[in-house]
Amino acid sequence: MSWLTTVDHKRIGVLYGVTAFAFFLLGGLEALVIRLQLAGPGQHVVSAEMYNALFTMHGTTMVFLAIMPLNALFFNYMVPLLIGARDVAFPRLNALSYWIFLFGGLFLNASFLAGTPPDVGWFGFAHLTAPGMTLMRMPVFVWMTLVVQFLIVLAFPPITVGLIFLLFDRFFGTHFYDVAAGGDLHLWQHLFWIFGHPEVYILILPAFGIVSEVLPTFARKPLFGAPVVIYSGVLIGFFGFGVWSHHMFAAGMGPIADAAFSIATMLIAIPTGVKIFNWLATLWGGAIRTTTALHFAVGLVGLFTIGGLSGIMHASPPVDLQQTDSYFVVAHLHYVLIGGSLFGLFAGAYYWWPKITGRLLDERLGKLQFWVLFAGFNTAFFPQHYLGAIGMPRRIYTYAAGAGWTFWNAVSTLGAFGIALGVLLFMVNAWRSLRAGAPAPADPWDGRTLEWRTSSPPPPHDFDTIPPVSGRDTFWREKYGRRAGGGGPGAAPSRDHIHLPAPSHWPVLVGLGMAVMAVGALTHLATVLVGALVTVVGVFRFALEHHRNPAHEHQVGSLDLDHRKVAMWVFLGSECFFFGTLIATYLAYKGKSVVGPEPHQILNIPLTTVSTFDLLMSSLLMVLALAAVQRGDRREARLWLFGTAFFGLIFLGFQAYEFTHFVGEGLTLQQNLFGSTFFVLTGFHGAHVTVGVVWLLSLWLLDLRGNLGVTDAMKVEVAGLYWHFVDVVWIVIFTLVYLIP
Amino acid sequence: MNRRTSGQPAVRSALGALVLTLGGCAWDTPMTTLIARSDFGREILHVYSIIAWATAGIALVVFGVLAWVLARFRATPGAPLPAQTRGHTLLEIAWTIAPALVLLVISVPTLHVIFRTQAAPPAQALEVTVLGRQWWWEFRYPTLNIATANELHLPAGRPAALRLEGPDVIHSFWVPQLGGKRDVVPGRSNQLTFTPQVPGEYWGQCAEFCGVSHANMRMRVIVDAPDAFERWAAAQRVTPAPPTGLAAQGKAIFASGACVACHTIRGVSAGVLGPDLTTFGSRRTLAAGMFPNTPERVAEWVKNPGGLKPGVKMPALGLTDDQARAVAAYLASLK
Repeated sequence: MSWLTTVDHKRIGVLYGVTAFAFFLLGGLEALVIRLQLAGPGQHVVSAEMYNALFTMHGTTMVFLAIMPLNALFFNYMVPLLIGARDVAFPRLNALSYWIFLFGGLFLNASFLAGTPPDVGWFGFAHLTAPGMTLMRMPVFVWMTLVVQFLIVLAFPPITVGLIFLLFDRFFGTHFYDVAAGGDLHLWQHLFWIFGHPEVYILILPAFGIVSEVLPTFARKPLFGAPVVIYSGVLIGFFGFGVWSHHMFAAGMGPIADAAFSIATMLIAIPTGVKIFNWLATLWGGAIRTTTALHFAVGLVGLFTIGGLSGIMHASPPVDLQQTDSYFVVAHLHYVLIGGSLFGLFAGAYYWWPKITGRLLDERLGKLQFWVLFAGFNTAFFPQHYLGAIGMPRRIYTYAAGAGWTFWNAVSTLGAFGIALGVLLFMVNAWRSLRAGAPAPADPWDGRTLEWRTSSPPPPHDFDTIPPVSGRDTFWREKYGRRAGGGGPGAAPSRDHIHLPAPSHWPVLVGLGMAVMAVGALTHLATVLVGALVTVVGVFRFALEHHRNPAHEHQVGSLDLDHRKVAMWVFLGSECFFFGTLIATYLAYKGKSVVGPEPHQILNIPLTTVSTFDLLMSSLLMVLALAAVQRGDRREARLWLFGTAFFGLIFLGFQAYEFTHFVGEGLTLQQNLFGSTFFVLTGFHGAHVTVGVVWLLSLWLLDLRGNLGVTDAMKVEVAGLYWHFVDVVWIVIFTLVYLIP
Repeated sequence: MNRRTSGQPAVRSALGALVLTLGGCAWDTPMTTLIARSDFGREILHVYSIIAWATAGIALVVFGVLAWVLARFRATPGAPLPAQTRGHTLLEIAWTIAPALVLLVISVPTLHVIFRTQAAPPAQALEVTVLGRQWWWEFRYPTLNIATANELHLPAGRPAALRLEGPDVIHSFWVPQLGGKRDVVPGRSNQLTFTPQVPGEYWGQCAEFCGVSHANMRMRVIVDAPDAFERWAAAQRVTPAPPTGLAAQGKAIFASGACVACHTIRGVSAGVLGPDLTTFGSRRTLAAGMFPNTPERVAEWVKNPGGLKPGVKMPALGLTDDQARAVAAYLASLK
């Protein structure tokens, strides 16, 4: 029961791990059925419809429900330990993420239809970091985690918008993907891949981080060129946003776009290559201990190299025109996601298992598993390069005997069962370890980083004393002193006050409410309302649970910024991508409507100027409100908070009038592309204003009840950031939609 | 390239086993990308070979170093700690520049080929409109005023300018030996230009997932010598002669049934939802490359198309065996 309400990052990590492993097995079974169907030509293991559902679910399950949450296992469990912290910054939000992931995954599989992938959310930055843990001293795994969180926050909004368009097309008759109304099917492809390519790095960078921890430990040498490895990871993440169209070389974008995206894609190969060379240099001159974890890490270096090199081939559009959507690409992506991500995850599993469970895994069985998995994987996927080269398209449920694909498909199917055997050996090993494994000491591998400084498994509060950090590989320096090239331990450890976040049942309830809403959306409106009620009540209780709890007042991290403020800025970053995508779609579809009315016939600029002015003035009142709260003037605080909300309400009134008027003039969501893009863009902005009004009124009510003092200024400041952002977005919309003809 | 159509099963399976043991390299692979039979295909293969050599070289270096390191630097009991080297700036610079140089070698021919293969088609090119449909291909020759389905005839040595359009969902036109693929996107008009160089029969297939029978959306491209192509084109324009015997019965069933709503047969019907059947009897395959075009298969097909091709839009019309045989005979007579 305590697992339901836990907010302990370690327990949440374990929940992620166990759930994700179950989904991994499910996705693996789907893959085996797929391989059986393709083992020979004209097979009837499953029907065409079932096969198509299987490959869709296999991909969705492995990417969103297996690999991403398996990464989340290590983010959650290890990051606070690696930086010497007691928990993550937003433990309850972290728990909420897990429950949404679980319910979303169950929902997806219950329907067995491919639809909206559940957003596995983001997990917040760790807090209460150890003194001296500066950014460049953070272990590389933590760095890669940070880069991945940015990728998630920024890459998901475009796909969210793409799915919102799809939802509106299906349920409300809009025309975003309606060719007859002037819509463009490339829109979906762009939105999907703007998300889809960063997603690849979301899946692989954590594995790169794990390898960057495992190789130094078992070579007994520091990571070679650690800053360069970190910068390379950041660059990969950054370039990852500029290359999405290399998935569209066959789409007919024209030679200039093809050339530009080709060059951008090739550039990613440079930081990737740099990482591989640095890993080799880490091993060079070391004292290598060939543990199972090292086997998997070295396996990643080799297999990912193959996946990276075939990726360079796709970066060349002419070559890609032969390889895209063929089995060559299937081979490539599995070398990246199994040879890269999964081998990295297994390296992490063997490396950190003793820390998490307090027991050792069997090394002999582990190495056997490595070799079985390695052989099975290469047997399954290396021949698929050749199958692609001899023209086998992907996503086909059957093929002709005369196509010449039979032999290598049979081989590939055999290899798939080798992979399954490898996974089975891991399960046996895990089961034996949990049942009767040898107890693990705190530091079984002679590790270099802080997680090995605490017991195995760690106590609920992670560290008895927050450890001092004297540099990269701080624990190694502490053990080996000057000989290790460090300056010895830094400041003397001090026994400090241990505060741990209390368990909460609101995360699981909010998650449940959202799941009920999702089920209702497909079945019954009343169910949606019940779910919405649970969600809204849950969110309010969630927000107020620790209001004025003195233990939660101080939330400053290593950047000397309040976590809530950092979180709001990160959220607003993702909102920029969200509104950016909506606005870009509006502009791309401007003038493409096949029927009227046109914007200039209907937009009322004088009226909107007044409502824009009203919204701008509300920002001014927001500034006054914050100032009043900060200086403790409760009367003015109440006045300006209510005033801000009231001005927001006036803006919404203008918008309601405008919408009603437009509908009267014949402009609806369904009328034309202008109607679809206009109402969705301004409607989502209006929804943001509404949320802001509710938020401000809640603060106002708190104030009325005497529960908003100077110490709560940060809460008002965060709400203010949101409010100003929403106003700025409106200025952009007003300029681009109303003022520019 | 030609499919094996006869031969004793025992001999064939023995031969098959022999091929298996040889590793499959000598196999008949009609959709290979490694043999190019057009200018477009050759350009791609040229870039591909440059990249293949470059990447093979990199792989050799990485695997070589990895193997050496793993063999050489093992931990030994009692040995002192290895030197705690943290990095080397010159090395970092070197292995940043080295891949950049390799990429330069790859990108120059890449850019060259991108622009050369996407140039506007020359004036003498043969225009063909390709329509990707769920789950078959329609080919229209606007200058020759003919239309056909699932079998594209092209003259060798003359550029072909394909305009790719589609009324339903996204498909992708791919005939590997004649070059790379290009998507067929509803609402857009994509262009694919190449010059087939060697007469022969080439296999193609839709390469973008397009629904239930995506796997069954195949095609044949028949590259003819120029004079053979002219003969073929002339034959396509002839209105079929009135059939006799069983075929005449079949024509009556066809003309009086639901068939005419979807299919065109010149002089008989003008439906546009399904393939034009005016010269169906001259085609090599049935149902977009799924089956050889034999009267038995055709009879089976017209009785129950959904049983042969999942999701097919053509309904079962409730024909008796005799009616189906008659329709098959009629269709076979259309040459």
